[in-house]
Amino acid sequence: MNRVQNTKTVLWTLLGLAAAVGVTRFVFGLGVTTNLTDATPWGVWIGFDVMAGVALAGGGFVMTAMFYIFKREQYHDLVKPAVLTAFLGYIAVVGGLLVDLGLPWNIWHMIIYWNPHSPLFEVGWCVMLYSTVLALEFSPVPLEEFSRYARIRSVLMKVRFPLVLVGIMLSTLHQSSLGSLFLIMPQKMHALWYSAIMPVQFFVSAVALGLMMVSLESLASHWLYRRKPDTKRVAGLAKAAIWVLAVYLIVKLGDIALAGEWGMMFDGSWESNLFVTELLLSTIIPIVLFSIPRIRLSAGGQWVGSFLVVFGMIFNRMNVGGLSMLSTTGDSYVPSWMEIAVSLGVVSAAALAFLFAVERFHIWDKRPRHPESDPHTEPVFDYSSRVWLGTPLVAARTKYSLAFILAFALGFAFMPGDEIQSKGVKMIPAQRALGGDTLFVDGNHNSFGTMFNHARHVDSLGSKESCVKCHHMNIPKDKQSACSDCHRNMYATTDVFRHDWHGDHDGANISCYVCHQPEMEKQKSSAMKCRDCHSDLYADSAADTLDTYLASSYVDAMHKQCMACHQLAGAKDSTKATLTLCVTCHTGAQPDYLQVKMIEVLSPHSGENVIMPDITLETAMKQEEQVGR
Amino acid sequence: MDAFLDFARGPLFRVSLAVMLLGLLRILALDIFGAVEAYRKAGDKTLPWRFIVRRTLMWLVPVNRVFTRRPAYSLFSILFHVGLLLVPIFLYAHVELWRGVIGFGWWTLPKEWADWLTISTIVFALALFVGRVGSVASRFISRKQDYLWPLVLVIPFVSGYICANLNVGPATYQISMLVHILSAEVIFILLPFTKLAHCILTPLSQVISNVAWKFPAGTDDDVCTTLNKKGAPV
Repeated sequence: MNRVQNTKTVLWTLLGLAAAVGVTRFVFGLGVTTNLTDATPWGVWIGFDVMAGVALAGGGFVMTAMFYIFKREQYHDLVKPAVLTAFLGYIAVVGGLLVDLGLPWNIWHMIIYWNPHSPLFEVGWCVMLYSTVLALEFSPVPLEEFSRYARIRSVLMKVRFPLVLVGIMLSTLHQSSLGSLFLIMPQKMHALWYSAIMPVQFFVSAVALGLMMVSLESLASHWLYRRKPDTKRVAGLAKAAIWVLAVYLIVKLGDIALAGEWGMMFDGSWESNLFVTELLLSTIIPIVLFSIPRIRLSAGGQWVGSFLVVFGMIFNRMNVGGLSMLSTTGDSYVPSWMEIAVSLGVVSAAALAFLFAVERFHIWDKRPRHPESDPHTEPVFDYSSRVWLGTPLVAARTKYSLAFILAFALGFAFMPGDEIQSKGVKMIPAQRALGGDTLFVDGNHNSFGTMFNHARHVDSLGSKESCVKCHHMNIPKDKQSACSDCHRNMYATTDVFRHDWHGDHDGANISCYVCHQPEMEKQKSSAMKCRDCHSDLYADSAADTLDTYLASSYVDAMHKQCMACHQLAGAKDSTKATLTLCVTCHTGAQPDYLQVKMIEVLSPHSGENVIMPDITLETAMKQEEQVGR
Repeated sequence: MDAFLDFARGPLFRVSLAVMLLGLLRILALDIFGAVEAYRKAGDKTLPWRFIVRRTLMWLVPVNRVFTRRPAYSLFSILFHVGLLLVPIFLYAHVELWRGVIGFGWWTLPKEWADWLTISTIVFALALFVGRVGSVASRFISRKQDYLWPLVLVIPFVSGYICANLNVGPATYQISMLVHILSAEVIFILLPFTKLAHCILTPLSQVISNVAWKFPAGTDDDVCTTLNKKGAPV
């Protein structure tokens, strides 16, 4: 069993899965890949990739401070891996953020367009600057391999101490400002997490997490390369972590006690359970474990303790980033598998880069024997062709790339939708309007509807002859089809043509060439239109005739139908300006999602300013053209 | 049947497309990596670049060598490849499918051309198969997949022709369509892992064989001497 090779294969597989999601996300948009909504715009990607990612990278500034400022010489060997982890962590954070941002290509805006009042602005600048500092701090290590860059390296080594200072300062600033970010949402966040001193809590927990992340990473990489675990140094870190965690616990519980929220911790609600679990895992159990010298000095105890802190603190960041707000927003957000795949892929990429660096550069005082160049490895043969796959290095490369593309293909296959479409469209069947002379149009039966005076519209539009202006078509064998019979879905288009039924024995049983011309391609665009056979379905001189077999959504159909006339009338005759207002039809409570751009216009009648939808005669005419009336 | 068709058109198609494109890129990258590594290890690093480029271009233009040896076979092979590449990429119906998914399409073949090219591909594939079976020299150097490929490649062309042209009932249409899609997908998936990969590896063949001759140093001359072809270009 080759631990390194197997681990790398798994990491490449996860990366392949994430790459498939990444391609879909950037080509078809966020809606396809995430379960995020307007009520829950921050999900796993922010909670885990960004919030927890930044905190996990805290090891960089903690270890440089330990070594360069507090002169703890015994931790020298841990500094390089810690800086590398921090550097890769920040790159991963930026990668995760780019996937999450709706318009990622605008990320440079914060460099030019300053908004110094925003905590996000501070976070953005700090991440940007600190990533640069980390790159400069780490670059002497790879530069060591190339003698021609010796001069650059020596310059970097000279400015190392100022770089370390700047790095610690920037980390302190933005580890805490990630907490400040949430100060603006006291109404949204649960009281157990919300606190005026969140920035302090974030900073202290980042220090503890940094220490434990360095320990965990040391334990894991030693296990992976079959080296003797560095128990003595890790025990030292664990001892320091006890104090930091204790400070964190006092700050956290003290704040809750002062705010008088002590009782909320044990009231048995979902949040209180989350909070207690989080505190037990991240702080209390590790403090107890590490206080016992025997456990602190054993590799097993160190594994458990550091894992608990890391896991618990990630849990804390995810609670703050979203879980603590669910009861306020009432929005049940469960991340889609694609969101999780991207998060895992980002971590995998960072881990692969870490392993690459450890194998190629002088990160540890004794470089690990390259696991893929072991002279004793047996030759590997390709299963199908029985060909030797080459040296272990080449064979590994062959395997990793195969794992990557197979995972990519599998992930790509399970992307939602036949034609990849936004999951944001909810499939709500439309219902028939109720009433007689006055209709209540309420397609989704949520009792926010519109009273439609049918009789008055018949009168004002020119009695019976005007019917076809709205009732453009019937469904087969029917006379007075309701709008909802074809426009069957509230927000999605419906295919009203039953292709297979037309060819089926139990249906119309007609041959392909009845509709498709023999010399033409069998395409929708070249096939016969419905009206070529079903002329009886169309009202004489109907305004709309079906060309595409697709009925627009119920909401679109209703608005197109009404607004085309209303806007034209309102724009032509200023006494009828109110016809264009939303509230003219939607007299009840207005749902929040109705967003029409409103403008202030000087009314020629009253001489006062009135608020009107932004509709001019020109746009109204254009819409009239589109409707074809 | 509709569910099968939807599954074949949706997830299965995406799997096969991804495996094909990434798989081809993968073997291209692996081969280039291997060549670079071999070149680095070679004692003699001089490569006849002009010769390699000239020979590669010569191989890429098929008509150059057609009539030197086995003219009929070469001609059939070229005509077979013309239809094999043009019809799947430039058929109107296929371009329409792309337009529906990725939002843009490209130049398409007129339907009559597409039909004739389909028929020619089928005929020449069978001719190639017969040529391989009929010649002792060919049989001697043939593997199983060499016999199989002309026959497998014909399946999507035959089923596609049925769907596009014959006045068949809906049930037959759907079965042919399913066969058409599934066989094309099998070909897509196998493409990077079989000899069909030559579609992307051909430009590398010259440089790789030249690099391969290079190590250890002097191998090329030694081999030529052994083969009684001293001084011949390699």
